[in-house]
Amino acid sequence: MLARVRTPRRFKQITRYTRLLHAFCVPQNDSRWPEWNVVIGIEVHAQIKSRSKLFSDTWTSDYTLPPNTRVSPYDAAFPGTLPLLNPRCVELGVRTALALNAKIEPRSAFDRKHYFYADLPAGYQITQYYAPLATSGGLRLENREKYVRIKQIQLEQDTGKSTFDSREGISAIDLNRAGTGLMEIVSEPDLRSPEDAGEYVRTLQALVRSIGSSDGNMEQGSLRCDVNVSVNRHGAPHGTRCEIKNLNSVKFMMVAITSEVRRQIDLLESGRAVAQETRGFNEDKAETYSLRSKEDAPDYRYMPDPNLPPLLIDEAYVEKMRNEMPELPDATRARLQALGLSRRDTDVLMEVDSGREVRFDGEVGRGAVAYFDQISQGRDPKVVVNWITHELLGQLAFRRETFSDNHISAEQLGDLIDIVQQGRLTGYVTPGTSGKTLLRHMLDHCSEEMPSKLAEKFSLLAVSSDDSALERWCAEAIAALPQEADAVRRGNDKVINKIVGRVMKSSRGTANAQAVRAILLKMLQ
Amino acid sequence: MPTTCSSAILRNFVSPFDATVVQLLQAAGAQVVGKSNCDEFGMGSLNTYSIYGPVVNPYQAPTSPESWAVRERRSAGGSSGGSAAAVAAGMCDIALATDTGGSIRLPASYCGVVGLKPSYGIVSRWGVVSYADSLDCVGVLARTAQDVKKAFDVLNVYDDKDPTASRPDVRRRASEAVQKSHWNAEDGLTGLRIGVPQEYFPAELLQSTLTPVRRMLENLASRGAAIIPVSLPSTRFALSAYYVISSAEASSNMARYDGIQFGSYVEPPAGTNKAKTSNVYAYTRAAGFGPEVQRRILLGTYALTADAFDNYFLQAQRVRKLVRADFNRVFSVPNVLFSTPSLPSDAGVHVLLHPSTIRTAPRLPLTANQTRCNNEDTLDAYVQDVLTVPASLAGLPAMSIPAGLGEDGWPVGVSIVGQWGCDDMVLEVGSLCAQLPGC
Repeated sequence: MLARVRTPRRFKQITRYTRLLHAFCVPQNDSRWPEWNVVIGIEVHAQIKSRSKLFSDTWTSDYTLPPNTRVSPYDAAFPGTLPLLNPRCVELGVRTALALNAKIEPRSAFDRKHYFYADLPAGYQITQYYAPLATSGGLRLENREKYVRIKQIQLEQDTGKSTFDSREGISAIDLNRAGTGLMEIVSEPDLRSPEDAGEYVRTLQALVRSIGSSDGNMEQGSLRCDVNVSVNRHGAPHGTRCEIKNLNSVKFMMVAITSEVRRQIDLLESGRAVAQETRGFNEDKAETYSLRSKEDAPDYRYMPDPNLPPLLIDEAYVEKMRNEMPELPDATRARLQALGLSRRDTDVLMEVDSGREVRFDGEVGRGAVAYFDQISQGRDPKVVVNWITHELLGQLAFRRETFSDNHISAEQLGDLIDIVQQGRLTGYVTPGTSGKTLLRHMLDHCSEEMPSKLAEKFSLLAVSSDDSALERWCAEAIAALPQEADAVRRGNDKVINKIVGRVMKSSRGTANAQAVRAILLKMLQ
Repeated sequence: MPTTCSSAILRNFVSPFDATVVQLLQAAGAQVVGKSNCDEFGMGSLNTYSIYGPVVNPYQAPTSPESWAVRERRSAGGSSGGSAAAVAAGMCDIALATDTGGSIRLPASYCGVVGLKPSYGIVSRWGVVSYADSLDCVGVLARTAQDVKKAFDVLNVYDDKDPTASRPDVRRRASEAVQKSHWNAEDGLTGLRIGVPQEYFPAELLQSTLTPVRRMLENLASRGAAIIPVSLPSTRFALSAYYVISSAEASSNMARYDGIQFGSYVEPPAGTNKAKTSNVYAYTRAAGFGPEVQRRILLGTYALTADAFDNYFLQAQRVRKLVRADFNRVFSVPNVLFSTPSLPSDAGVHVLLHPSTIRTAPRLPLTANQTRCNNEDTLDAYVQDVLTVPASLAGLPAMSIPAGLGEDGWPVGVSIVGQWGCDDMVLEVGSLCAQLPGC
């Protein structure tokens, strides 16, 4: 028997990526710096959205909490305390690695990175320097047709926060964040422009949010970037790189890269060399500045942590994580488009979905896509997406609210769509009719009542065509508008809308516009 | 009660929680009567590096004509000198102590008491102030092996707060391996195979220490034990490896003492640029740490620098593996942590026996001022540990028991060392040895 030969999916992906890889090895001319090739690699630090910290059972904090209210003796590095690895953080790390198509290392380990700073109470940060959690993954950038290789993913501790009050001359330390789990995601130097870098971070952000491993919130500091930038003339080997530390918005990161590229080009064009160094970014001046040179680089004295046994991950565990994995954005997009949704509707739905709440420990929050999925069960997906993106989101936007403020359940909206579709409700043909009115009413009055019940209560159910009231209203309308009635009789059908409008007014919107039209045409024949 | 580790930097530090070992003993009905002196953070072999001053050995030689109060002042050994002295003086029945490279066995030997360093991972380290985490063990000092066992049985439980604690299944595998070892304590010494490692009789070992050990071996042989010479060839590298590893871990563990979150803080002089972290920390750390702790921080910091890491830290880890392999080769009981379970080998030994120390307790300097400098009476302190560090590097259970008196009339200890997880066997053999004449 012959088996059907199929190229395994993964193989297809690889061949495609190789082609793309090849494509961007060819010098790309950038009109901003036509003679230069820009090489960028990014280290992203994403805070793991776990209920408790990486090595203690203290709850993780957010920026709203008063300082030093989420601190245990371990987090403050009290003598006698020991680290205990939080398995939830490992799960979310593995989930992220799988989403990035990376190889989960069967044996990874934890190391101590030493430096003295007041917001690092132990004098060292526990990280995975010698043996990271996962290696050799990649991320596809949809709009730029690029594949960015991921070098490694490692787990590590976040530090506390210190703020210096120059007027008082004191440093204040908040340990709420100290010991929170971080994933450090290190890309290969595969990015070639500030825009590449921007899309990379945005895509990564959407990815970690979709799988619930991080809320990826850059404003609140739960996703931070260090960017390595170098420039070289086309055909020449890579130049000396500089690292720009602690960029916490995509916009500023792109500005910082652009400014750094210009600085390096200016240096090289004036015959000077780029010194390898670590730089900061001044947002007001839109300039990078030197923090420390390579010579001043600290020796972190990495040492395997003697308290933490190696992290052993077997195939069964990885398989379990793979099976429990929430749908990735690429798969969601493909699935929605296969349902017949337009690219624009898909984009809107996924954009709204990406704003859904990221819950603790990888519990998948319900966003716009899940809402759509539930309503479109047994209904026309295109009609459903119209109701969500146009009517519901439109109304919400008008009220200056977002999807997360929506309290209309999937069952309620489904019921509303049904009564409109079945013609039981007036509306959806002329603006301002009952369906939309009902939706507005439901947004105004939070209730579990079904729209069909509400419509009945408000007499919004369509008057059926054989109703004598309907014929009476039609006759009245024809009598009230004799000129228009004549025009219709002479065959000018467009004028009928004015008469239909009059009937709708008489019925206070309860009449079915199509039925009215049919009766009028019959009467005016 | 403050937890000071005999350090100025923790002079007024009160821990917000109790160690698991303290909770266990209290739950079993023990009364805590006090905390004892030690070398600062456990770093030292003579218990002279302490803000409270040196521990004076309570022992008095039977031949000594003076009254006890004016007896010859000798070291109680370290780092757990206070625990050993308190037990020797009868101030308590048992004392807890930590042993990183010999800190229980050395003072036990000098003070003439029994001291057990259990297998690494058997007793919880939650609440124990770390010196070198991969070596630190909590153990027990008492006047008899029976008293040590009584306390050890209470402490020998899995604690999920300690990430290095041996899990219940490993403990079970170890006790199964012991049961197959063809020796039963009820049979007495008959059938017991005792290895004597030839490398444990170095040039530094004083002759006066050797006589009681020799006498004990003769007694054991005459009562049915087989005395078997064995070789542990990596022993000669063990001391250097130990000091590299323990100092590296110490330099890391001591980093938290900066006076910010807890402990003593020394205000930098007026005009110091406090924006620089090192300026703020330097005064606290220079004033808070004693000379030995500072020495090991510097040594360990160097061993971990990028340039030295391979030649020092990694090299020491390789030696550590060799030392462990040496032990695994000579024991009849397999090491359940490393080998796939194999049958006990008939050629191997049940336990090893060797002198605990290279000499009897050294004389203390006469004045407190002299405790801080190298004195001719004080042997190079690091050599004191030469016989105790191999078991620490391999994480093996080791117990020092009194073996009689040296020529100077002061106690001499011998150490019984067993395979990992054979703590009970070590206790049983130690208890049998202690019943021999002359002990």
